[in-house]
Amino acid sequence: MPAWLKSRWVVVPLAIALTALAWNAYVVVNAGGTVDGRVVDAAGQPVPDASVILLERHFVMHNERQRTRTDDGGYFHFSGNDNHSLQLEAEATGLGRSERRVVRLWFRAQNVRLTEPLRLPIRLP
Amino acid sequence: MSRRRTYLRHSVLIGICAAMLLPFYWVLKTAVTNENIYAYPPRLLPENPHLFNFVDVWYFIPFPRYLMNSLIVSALVVAGNIAFNAMAGYALTKSFPAKRAVLLLFLSCMLIPFQATIIPAYLITSQLGLLNSYLGLALPLLSTIVCIFVFKAAFEAVPQSLIDAARIDGLSEWRIILRVLLPLSKAAIATNVVLAFIWSWNAFLWPLIITREPTMQTLPLGLARFLSYLEDTTGALYAFAVMVLAPSIFVFLMAQKEFIRGLASGATKG
Repeated sequence: MPAWLKSRWVVVPLAIALTALAWNAYVVVNAGGTVDGRVVDAAGQPVPDASVILLERHFVMHNERQRTRTDDGGYFHFSGNDNHSLQLEAEATGLGRSERRVVRLWFRAQNVRLTEPLRLPIRLP
Repeated sequence: MSRRRTYLRHSVLIGICAAMLLPFYWVLKTAVTNENIYAYPPRLLPENPHLFNFVDVWYFIPFPRYLMNSLIVSALVVAGNIAFNAMAGYALTKSFPAKRAVLLLFLSCMLIPFQATIIPAYLITSQLGLLNSYLGLALPLLSTIVCIFVFKAAFEAVPQSLIDAARIDGLSEWRIILRVLLPLSKAAIATNVVLAFIWSWNAFLWPLIITREPTMQTLPLGLARFLSYLEDTTGALYAFAVMVLAPSIFVFLMAQKEFIRGLASGATKG
C-alpha cells in the first residue's frame, strides 16, 4: 500500500466521508415522515376516537400541523411529517387532555413510534 | 523528595489546565443540556444531557450551506497562503536591492489593523468583480505577513549547498521551492495551514461587508443570524458555537505534530 494512503491526512477525512455517507444512507431509508403512537386513559386502557394533534416547531413556537383520531385500539398514525421537533397532544371528550409530549428526532421526517403512550388524566367509564 | 516535588508540580499544572479548559467545558456542557449558561447555582455535571440541540442548529438556519461556504473559503485561503507565502518567503531569503526596506515595509504593514484598510479592500474587490464570491471572501487572507516570515525562517534553515546543488542539476526556482524547500519545511507548512484556517474560519467583518446574499454567508455570520432569532443563552446557541469551533480544533489536532515540532525545533536551535 502506498505510504500516502496510510497518512492521517487521507485516512481521517476518508473515515469522516464514509461515516457521513453511511449516515445519509440511513436517513434516506428512515425518513418516511410517519409518527405512530397510542392513547390510553389513566388506567392504561386504550382510548378509541380520541383526537390527537401534531404540532411542529418553528424556532420558538409550535404550530399545529395535523390532527387525527385514534382507532379502536387507541392507535394513531400521522404521515407527511417533515420536521425534526414535534409536540403531540391527545384529547377525548370526558377524559380530559394529555400532557403535551415533546418528540425530538435525529433528522427531519424521521419515522418514530412513541415508546410511551399519551396518557389522558381520567379513566374510561 | 524528588518524587514529591514532581507530584506537586504536576498537581499545579493539572489545576492550571483545568482552569484554562473550564470555559470550554462549560460551553460544551450547556450545549448538551437545556440549561441557561447563567444558571445559578452552576452545576458541574450536565443534567439530562442530549444531542438534540445540535439537530436544532442544523435545521433552524441553513447550517450545511454556511458550513460549505466556510470550508470552500478556508480551503482557498490555505492553498493561497501556502503558494504565495512560500514564494514570498523564498524571495526574502535572497539578497536584492532595498531588501531591508521591503522587510521594514512588511513589518510596518503588520502594525496596521485590517479595519483601517477595509474600505480600499472593499473598493478593490468591487473593481475586480469579486463581491459576493468565494474568491472575494478569501482575497484579503490569501497571504499574511506573519506566515511569510514563518516560511522565510524555515527556508533560511535549509543549507544553501542543497539549493545550489539543485540549481546545478537544472531545477528552476519554482521547482527548487516545490521539490527541495517545501518538503523540508513541513513545520512551516503546518503552521501556515493552522493559522490560515483559523483566521479564515473565524473571519466575521469581511464576510459581513462583501456578501450580498444569505446563501454566501459563512458560519460566523450564521451564528450572528442564529443569535438574532434565538435571543437566549441556552443549549442551541452553544451547540452552534461548538459546531463552529469543531473544525478548527480538528485541523489543529491533525497538524499539531508538525506544528509543535516546528515550535520545539526553534527553541532548541543552536
